[in-house]
Amino acid sequence: MTKLTDNDQTDLKARLEKLKSGLEAHKAAEQHHSQSSGPKAENMGQAMSLGIRVLSEFIAAVVVGGLLGWQFDSWLGTAPVLLLLFLLLGIIAGFWNVYRIAAAPPRPAINPDKTGYKTKE
Amino acid sequence: MSAEAAPAIDPIHQFNIVRLGEPFHIGGVDASFTNASLFMVIVLGLISVLMIIGTSSKAVVPGRIQSLAEMSYEFVANTVRSAAGDAGMRFFPLVFSLFMFVFFSNMLGLVPYTFTVTSQIIVTFALAALVILTVLVYGFIKHGTHFLHLFVPSGVPAALMPFIVLIEVISFVSRPISLSVRLFANMLAGHITLKVFGGFITMMIGAGAIGIVAAALPMAAIVALTAFELLVAFLQAYVFTILTCVYLNDAIHPGH
Repeated sequence: MTKLTDNDQTDLKARLEKLKSGLEAHKAAEQHHSQSSGPKAENMGQAMSLGIRVLSEFIAAVVVGGLLGWQFDSWLGTAPVLLLLFLLLGIIAGFWNVYRIAAAPPRPAINPDKTGYKTKE
Repeated sequence: MSAEAAPAIDPIHQFNIVRLGEPFHIGGVDASFTNASLFMVIVLGLISVLMIIGTSSKAVVPGRIQSLAEMSYEFVANTVRSAAGDAGMRFFPLVFSLFMFVFFSNMLGLVPYTFTVTSQIIVTFALAALVILTVLVYGFIKHGTHFLHLFVPSGVPAALMPFIVLIEVISFVSRPISLSVRLFANMLAGHITLKVFGGFITMMIGAGAIGIVAAALPMAAIVALTAFELLVAFLQAYVFTILTCVYLNDAIHPGH
């Protein structure tokens, strides 16, 4: 019955040790993998959506400025003056939009009701 | 899959509006039931089924459908609270409806042979206009003329004021446009890209034995792009929702 000799026991121990270290290495690798690639893919998607947001806000402001100027020009008959003025204003508004995205904290986590927003200027 | 026919490679064909059934006019406006209307009804049906079945059992330990319904509720509720505060929760029904509609339309559009409702600019613009009109109406009802302080930042020299106000107005008017164009353009571009790569496959297979081997490349690209489009479908719905909350926050707390 007792076939486990001392030799076998040390063998078993060595195997256990080997498996243990293998398991730990695997765990460490998995953790490293999830830390490096998991959030990275998510960040990539978020960064892309932020980039598209910045682009669309900028272009929308320029387009709105141009359209407003064009429309006012055709109403008032002041051919290119208002178009140029409003196009310039639209470009400034576009940069202002982009600045607001960049300057704002990524998520207004604080409850605005408790941060004195009600005491208006 | 009629690969020989020219429309199969036409990447724009998928966005065609087709009238289903009888032409129907209300006061000179063509209000016929189209394939776009059909898929809007399907989207509404899917959302209703999810929410009705999900909330019918009211189990303490939720099942699959119930946890899906609860997850969507909690996700949108957290988004509203973080972007517009607790006061923003009065707009929760609007924001939740918008998120679910956009998300389900985007996702349903990725199923082959379906129609993507959000790839039509008029649909996304209607949604964005709804958001901005809500902001305007609620802002004026709640704050009256004080709402106009949104366009008048404090601490600006009087000489610069007209320009700043004009810039703020342009920036405000550009919001519904950027909101609608972003969603529409993302959906349109993604679906055209998928169709173009699909067209490559049929063309390469038509070119002979070497083409069939080479067709594996666009096929792999389609698999990767479809996964990417799933991400985009969710992200764009999320971006639409969070910007809705940010704009509603302006209506609740103007002049900061």
